[in-house]
Amino acid sequence: MTDTDMSCDDCRPMLEALVDDELAPEEAARVRTHVASCVECARTLESQKDLSRLLQDNLVHYDAPDVLKARIRSALSQSVESPQPNAAPPSRLRQRWIGLAAAGIAIAVASSATTLVVMRSTTTERTLASEVLTSHVRSLMPGHLVDVASNDQHNVKPWFNGKVALSPPVPRLDSLDFRLIGGRLDYVAGQAAAVVVYARRQHLIDVYAWPQPGSDVGASSRSSQGYNFVTWRSGDVEFWVVSDLNPRELSEFVGLYRGGVASR
Amino acid sequence: MEHVAQFEALILPHLDAAYTLARYLLRDEHDAQDVVQDAALRAFKHFAGFRGGDARAWFLTIVRNCCLTAQRQRGRRRMDSLSEDHDAVAVEPRGADALAIERSDRAAIERAVAALPIEYREVIVLREVEGLSYAEISEVAGVPIGTVMSRLSRARQRLASALGRSVKEAG
Repeated sequence: MTDTDMSCDDCRPMLEALVDDELAPEEAARVRTHVASCVECARTLESQKDLSRLLQDNLVHYDAPDVLKARIRSALSQSVESPQPNAAPPSRLRQRWIGLAAAGIAIAVASSATTLVVMRSTTTERTLASEVLTSHVRSLMPGHLVDVASNDQHNVKPWFNGKVALSPPVPRLDSLDFRLIGGRLDYVAGQAAAVVVYARRQHLIDVYAWPQPGSDVGASSRSSQGYNFVTWRSGDVEFWVVSDLNPRELSEFVGLYRGGVASR
Repeated sequence: MEHVAQFEALILPHLDAAYTLARYLLRDEHDAQDVVQDAALRAFKHFAGFRGGDARAWFLTIVRNCCLTAQRQRGRRRMDSLSEDHDAVAVEPRGADALAIERSDRAAIERAVAALPIEYREVIVLREVEGLSYAEISEVAGVPIGTVMSRLSRARQRLASALGRSVKEAG
């Protein structure tokens, strides 16, 4: 340390870099030596440190919301698996099946859709949608998806007995490319709800059902934060279907699910 | 498919950093979510072009550029000045006793940062919140290191005076 003398003018511009830990060791040593003998620069250094600490301690480092993470993962898997949105289901045989089924459903959906343009878009509905969404996203976390995992409706349906005040329909739809994954209990709208879980490709579909006395309400759809919803009420049961599946295939699912319910 | 797995392993751990940057730059929760999603998909599309190195800086560069584009599209009404003009939020001089209160006032600090022009806010967030080095900030903001240093310095002077603190002009 022979030539460590530094003027204040040379020192001052380096103080911030010192605080930011951006000086080479020998530079840092020179600055420190000067600061040790210069009250003025020492004070400047202190207030620089102070301000940095104040900012670091007080500025929030945000966590990306779970919904955002789920949206990104879902969009990623979609972009890999199908260059075009709404890709056809995998097998040709099934494709023909779907074609036939879709024709029937299209009519059913179209006719109901026209009568159902008027949505029950009240505050209650919005609150419910966000409750269902929160619950759905939580279920996407590892280990939360299903309480009973089975692709057999005869296992899933009885599982709900005695756990919730209704037995939700569990139609078998795997021939139409909607696999049954299982069931779970959840808590929505201040009460226990039965959730039946299906999947198409890697998109999960949650069907929430809970007792809700009142006249039947036809299906209406909405979307929020990248998720699509369909809701209806029938036989004093409120149904909410939520998924990141595209709206077209989701309404196809609802048509099949409700058709399956009706035919039972 | 391993392409996706690799992308998820390398880039998704930096989602919090990305969202934090977008929150500060856009000052809106929902816009920040949309932009980060958009940026993640863009990053995925260009992932083949990522030749190793600093994944965080690489991803934040994309996020930062998406933020600026979104802000430009959002129009001038919600946008602060990009120029060196004085801030829309006037800075009142504060007395010594106000200083003590401000010190503990997180909201005041957030406000002071939010009032910074965007190119100052960005270097402050990258340095003080994300802890990036000058070299990394230079990469993300697309400016030379000398510019990073002078912006940081001016940003800090503004913050110091907004918060009623004395930070001596450095240089």
